[in-house]
Amino acid sequence: MHTRVICRMPMTVHVEFFGIPRLRAGIAATQCQGTSLGEVLQELAERFPGLANDCFQGNRLRDAFAANLNGNRFVSDPATPLTRQDHLLIMSADAGG
Amino acid sequence: MPPSDLNGYHGAYLRVDVSTGQAERVPLPEKVLRAFLGGVGLGAWIVLQEGAAKADPLSTEAPLAFVFSPLVGSPLTTSAKFAVVGKSPLTQRFNDSLASSQFALAGKRCGVDALVLVGQAESPSILLIDEDEIRLEPAEDLWGETIPTAEKRLRKVWGLAYQFAVIGPAGERQVRFATISHDGRHAGRGGHGAVLGSKRLKAVAVRGAQRCTWAYPQELAQFAKELSAKSWGPATAKYRELGTMANLLVFNRLQALPTRNFQRSQFAEAVELSPEHLSATRQKTRDSCAACTIGCEHIYALKEDDSPGVRLEYENVFALGPLCGVSDPQTVLECSRICDELGLDTISAGGTIAFAMECAERGWLDIPWLRFGNAEALPRALQSMVTNDELGQLLRQGSRRMAGMIGHDSIDFAPQVKGLEIPGYEPRALQSMALGFAVGSRGADHNRSGAYEADFSEKVDRLNLRPEDVSHAVESENRAAILDSLILCKFLRGTLSDFYAESAEMLRLVTGWEIGPAELQETARRIVNVKKRFNMDAGWETGEDSLPARFFEDQLPGVAHSSFTPDRFRELVQAYYAERGWRKDGRLTEDQALAISMAESCNP
Ligand code: SF4
Repeated sequence: MHTRVICRMPMTVHVEFFGIPRLRAGIAATQCQGTSLGEVLQELAERFPGLANDCFQGNRLRDAFAANLNGNRFVSDPATPLTRQDHLLIMSADAGG
Repeated sequence: MPPSDLNGYHGAYLRVDVSTGQAERVPLPEKVLRAFLGGVGLGAWIVLQEGAAKADPLSTEAPLAFVFSPLVGSPLTTSAKFAVVGKSPLTQRFNDSLASSQFALAGKRCGVDALVLVGQAESPSILLIDEDEIRLEPAEDLWGETIPTAEKRLRKVWGLAYQFAVIGPAGERQVRFATISHDGRHAGRGGHGAVLGSKRLKAVAVRGAQRCTWAYPQELAQFAKELSAKSWGPATAKYRELGTMANLLVFNRLQALPTRNFQRSQFAEAVELSPEHLSATRQKTRDSCAACTIGCEHIYALKEDDSPGVRLEYENVFALGPLCGVSDPQTVLECSRICDELGLDTISAGGTIAFAMECAERGWLDIPWLRFGNAEALPRALQSMVTNDELGQLLRQGSRRMAGMIGHDSIDFAPQVKGLEIPGYEPRALQSMALGFAVGSRGADHNRSGAYEADFSEKVDRLNLRPEDVSHAVESENRAAILDSLILCKFLRGTLSDFYAESAEMLRLVTGWEIGPAELQETARRIVNVKKRFNMDAGWETGEDSLPARFFEDQLPGVAHSSFTPDRFRELVQAYYAERGWRKDGRLTEDQALAISMAESCNP
């Protein structure tokens, strides 16, 4: 028996910006539709050119920035799968205080 | 004073006995300089020779060293720094604290690589040092003055050519976490201000015109130019645009923001204290240390007040805000100013008050107004530290000693390691940093170990650190040993793509030594070892390399999968000792001790 896909739920990844990424994006949070880290960063790059210019290198973050998934693990591989309701936090990598 | 044939160094330190006013120039052999560089490394070696490890830090004979570095005075960005090194009255262990700016430049121009002070003046004094004269001047009229007032009056009397390192009322009263301040910046941790106060010195003033030569001045200028250009890049944007306060909302989101004396790791009102919010609601200016192209200092206006603004850093905001449950920005600004004026280390001041608040809430201190979240309690408690009232006399001992006085099980939640209050990195949520705190030579310390770097990366699981992950903590401590000895600002490190190679190149261009990354890595390990050697002489025991019981017994609310037991933590500490090549009990091996003793035998 085959399962028939009637409609696909849109992927909604919640993106939260902190520090410099927040200044460059001009907002604290947004939502994206991508299914991987690379796709989400690409979507963000299109919507926030200032953010992409200073914080991204292609579909990756520059070394000075870091991405965290749901407040738990840090991720960098553009192929990292993101699932619905994931929270992606984008911040400066340097936590020196 | 005879010129040195070394590049980057004068080849000597000046030992001043402030009891007699006698001074002696003590040669520093090139072998020692190459082995320990400057700043923290050279300072550790000098104070070990001078007998600091076994002395009571507040006694007449205790030495206190102001140490410069080969890079001071060079065109390299962020290099105008000095280290204050000795034994801490708070921890009774090795202590070093760094500060910046003109004092470093003027101090080195006195023609020495370090100043070592011993003795005790008969009455409150200022020690004036220039190239050919050293004298004590009376300072009774300045005793009791706040740091800004004292600095202003000193400048008026002695002119702009002198640079001053000054203590406030906290240092005079020997608060165990008193700072030494220069131009608004503090050599903050571990209580060296109390040591200067015990010597009855309100200030040390330096002036001079002797400059060191550089081995390759043209190449050095070119290297410095390129380094400055890199310092304007994305790696330092956080520091330039928001300052260290940018950590606040990130740490809060990651449940790593110590709150209410480490009972929680999130603060509901954190946003009120964030730089984003403060910048939108009050005037802000930026400043930098001398010779710095980054400029991380963000100075916020005190509302309804014409007085100069207040430098806010993540550490003072965390310690005087969430740690005490205080969310009112005006209170945090006011209290930061009080700490600056009195000369109090904000981390230890906030940590000790937060501890007292928890004791009061448990009914172990009968002080009804001392409660988490009571904004009025904070300035009152800070001011009490420089008075004779009962609370002040307790608070100025720091949380570990205070726990000994209060009793019950309060030591289990005194927020300290080796007596030094824990900075704003929640150990259970940042476990590489927790290890760094436990094994740190000066106690809970985020400057001599930057192990949080691993926690903020994919390299480790910050909530479940494994023994095989400890190399990151070791490596960050080694890099810090080099930065603190060269001395360069830590906020520059992100711009160095090959840390040891670039650091070695800076040193080569200044000194002319054909030094490579491998030698510098060895030097880093030696510097960590000389600090350990100091602590062993001072009575260090293995059990000190741990954390208070709270961190093992209490789960962090909302961080269910964090596992942190005493046994697992001991495994991490053991793995750290093994990675360092130390003995199982954490002591240096004979070979390691011998390597330091060989350098000791250079002592003239
Ligand atoms: S980055 Fe900040 S702390 Fe470092 S030297 Fe510059 S102003 Fe001073």
